[in-house]
Amino acid sequence: MHNTFENFPKLKRHLYSFLLSVCCMAAAAGISLLYRRCMPKPVCANIVMIFLFFVIVVSGLVNSCLYGIACSVFSLLWLRFLFPPRSGYPVMFFGIIPISVFVNTLTSHLTAQAGMIAEHRRQLEEAEKEKMRANLLRAVSHDLRTPLTAIIGSSTAYLENQSQLSEQEKTAIVKNICKDSHWMVNMVENLLTVTRIQGEDLTVSTDIESVEEVIGEALQKTKIRHPGCIIHTKIPDQFIMLPMDAVLIEQVTLNLLDNALRHSESLAPIELIVEDAPKYVFFTVRDYGRGIPEDILDRLFDGSGRAAPSSDAQGNRGIGLVICETIIRAHHGTLTGHNHGKGAEFTFTLPKEKKESFL
Amino acid sequence: MNPKIKILLIEDDRDIVSFITTSLTVHDYHICNAVTGREGLCLAASLCPDVILLDLGLPDIDGYQVLERLRVWSSVPIIVISAHSEEDEKVTALDLGADDYIIKPFGTAELMARIRTSLRHSFVSVPDRTYRALGLEIDLEKRTVKLNGQIIHLTQTEYQLLALLAQNSGKVLTYRTIIHTIWGPYADNSNQILRVNMANIRRKIEADSAQPQYVFTEVGIGYRMRENENI
Repeated sequence: MHNTFENFPKLKRHLYSFLLSVCCMAAAAGISLLYRRCMPKPVCANIVMIFLFFVIVVSGLVNSCLYGIACSVFSLLWLRFLFPPRSGYPVMFFGIIPISVFVNTLTSHLTAQAGMIAEHRRQLEEAEKEKMRANLLRAVSHDLRTPLTAIIGSSTAYLENQSQLSEQEKTAIVKNICKDSHWMVNMVENLLTVTRIQGEDLTVSTDIESVEEVIGEALQKTKIRHPGCIIHTKIPDQFIMLPMDAVLIEQVTLNLLDNALRHSESLAPIELIVEDAPKYVFFTVRDYGRGIPEDILDRLFDGSGRAAPSSDAQGNRGIGLVICETIIRAHHGTLTGHNHGKGAEFTFTLPKEKKESFL
Repeated sequence: MNPKIKILLIEDDRDIVSFITTSLTVHDYHICNAVTGREGLCLAASLCPDVILLDLGLPDIDGYQVLERLRVWSSVPIIVISAHSEEDEKVTALDLGADDYIIKPFGTAELMARIRTSLRHSFVSVPDRTYRALGLEIDLEKRTVKLNGQIIHLTQTEYQLLALLAQNSGKVLTYRTIIHTIWGPYADNSNQILRVNMANIRRKIEADSAQPQYVFTEVGIGYRMRENENI
């Protein structure tokens, strides 16, 4: 059973090669016959050329060199049939065989080389992806170390100096630990979502989901995370369903809202706008704060654009955005960020139709 | 003095055990701890706890198995503690009979709220036939829905869906459970029809369907209705 399976493609390939050779030879024979009949003074060399051309075609398209040799032999026989034997025949015979063998080796060598180049390119791409992943990991570990240091430091200080600390100071320390650990939870959540984007070609498994439900849950979570925040939403009245990985899109919305609340340095309400266009749905998070600093505007999504120095635990905007961008790209959408004059604005799009996954 | 409410914690991580034990003891619960699944099953049978907190990653037997074996003979509220945020895991746990789930890391406040909710469910022996929360009132006997005194007109399916959620208010119902209950076991498992009905219900009862007050979405898992205030 297994063996037949193994042999099957081989058999198919041989059948293909055989048919191809037969077709080519038939074509060559036909043309040469026509030439012989129609031309008043046929020249033997022209016919040899026709055959040589088809032998090279066969050698180029077929892997095994046997077919090329068989074709050459056939051509010689046909030549003998069209032009009765002359004195130079054996010379021609022994001349054409090495030519076809040579062409064969050359073409098969070329095919092998093309395969090698493709393989090499694939490896390079893989390495590129691996590098991206490693960069992300490095940046993340770096960002995780900061709150961890703070947690370890605060808890050690608490344990070692319990007796000297006032109640107020103790509360302050524990509050700090609590804040840092919450921040780490967000971070880890972000990392977990990245694992949902599957390896090689960065695809996500999408399902038809309701936009208002996903946005609704993101809003609800944001309100738990930032009690008292005000978010104005504008969502079209009609019910929109889109293919997406709901958890990931929720994470993107959460990150964008979180960024707007943390980094705008303003208490003005932020806006979440959903717009329905013919091919895409647009999601916009707009804040009325200080905007995105000019110097990181053009490298928002490459992970280096940390909005704040990394000693500041709030500086996870960079990583959050890299993750958002990866998620949206995996959905075949786009994520853009710019300043709208009174603050920052981030917009992502999601296509309405499910596309075949490619990147 | 009322006897203390007994809670069985089946969890193997010592830090988590100590944190939960401390916070629950402070809130005047009586807590017992099992570190393995087998021990948990034994204690559940001998102690008859009021609530079980079950960690899915146990050293000896799979958490799902513990859940299944418990459900054979007991209807005690079970809250699953899970370290993963994969939806499939939560859905499986809920479909196997867990009442609720909570994901690590969680805070004390969240844990307390979940315990109170599940206790409320188990203590109600004869559920009142009216659901009431904020301005919404569902009379399950007369089959009427009122929002701030105004009667809301729902289609047959929409009413069934809302009533099902209301009868299980506070609990997450998975998409599969809802579809099987309302459209029967042979219904298509795609959730689209459910989503559309839910969207229509929300258009009728919620002021802003993106910020629902009554029916909350648990993305990838199911729906949860606001606690019934009429218990």
